[in-house]
Amino acid sequence: MKSKMFLVLLAMFVLASPVFAQETAASADRPFITITSGIAMALASGLCALAQGKALGSSAEAIARNPGAGNVIRGALILGLAFIESLALFTFVVIAAKF
Amino acid sequence: MGHHELWFTELLNNYFAAPAQAVLNLFGVHAANPDRPWVNFVAMEILVALVIVVLFAILKSRLSVDKPGKLQHLFELVYLFQRQQADEIIGHDGRKYVAFAGTLFIFVLFGNLIGVIPSFESPTMFAPVPAGCAMATFLVYNILGFKENGAHYLKHFTGPIPWLTPLMLPIELISHLARPMSLTIRLYANMVAGEKVTLVFLALTYFAVPVVFMGLHVFVSLIQAFIFMVLTMIYIGGAVSHEEH
Repeated sequence: MKSKMFLVLLAMFVLASPVFAQETAASADRPFITITSGIAMALASGLCALAQGKALGSSAEAIARNPGAGNVIRGALILGLAFIESLALFTFVVIAAKF
Repeated sequence: MGHHELWFTELLNNYFAAPAQAVLNLFGVHAANPDRPWVNFVAMEILVALVIVVLFAILKSRLSVDKPGKLQHLFELVYLFQRQQADEIIGHDGRKYVAFAGTLFIFVLFGNLIGVIPSFESPTMFAPVPAGCAMATFLVYNILGFKENGAHYLKHFTGPIPWLTPLMLPIELISHLARPMSLTIRLYANMVAGEKVTLVFLALTYFAVPVVFMGLHVFVSLIQAFIFMVLTMIYIGGAVSHEEH
């Protein structure tokens, strides 16, 4: 069992080798773009995760209190999650436009 | 996201280059490559529209009250869902507006999902296509607002108290102008991000992992089409509502 797992991991690692060969030279002349876009994306997705966690937590609580309203709450939850996620994606678009 | 031509674009470029040139010249636009004016997303957009027209032509010819087929059941479910949303969001005679919002839903949904099939590309992955849908929404809800409320529609922009108008007017105008922009960016960023995540994991490994993200992409496609429809309905509902005084 363990050796099989090892083989799978090895296969994944070998197949992953193309990624080490690739180097992005797109923004070599503007090094700060890379740093700032990394930090921006980290902030955006971190805060987005916090907000989504809060939304998910309170909706789970609400469904636990009142399972009858589950469908309505679930619909509102999915809608809200998509809105929160799109805020992180706005950051992504700004980065993609500046990169 | 490559710059190569998909097979459908190639087909259009080989046989329909002249009409596209004529249309582009009509609007004074010059294609980057004059011999091959079709670009991928326009070609895919037309393909999606064709697929929808053909599908619904088949569906219409098969409609029956006694023995509804599987296709009819499926689209009845879709229609009932849209109608229920319209009733909930727009409320009183919201069903009039299902035609517009529901068509947008079907178009965006098909446009999102066609990217999952190999050798095709989502037209919604490129900003002009969602921007077109968003501008259509913008025009429609403003026109409907004027049609339903007449000049009273302008009161939506001036706020509740007369002397606050100089403050409220710019805020309302900017927030209304931001609506098509946020609709556009939300849809196209979601599509691009889904594709990019799959690509990154494909570069990492070919082993099973990217499939998970493609599944996620399908889910996101459904949700984004739904959100586009819901927002369209919310905007229309806000514009046509009669303010109680």
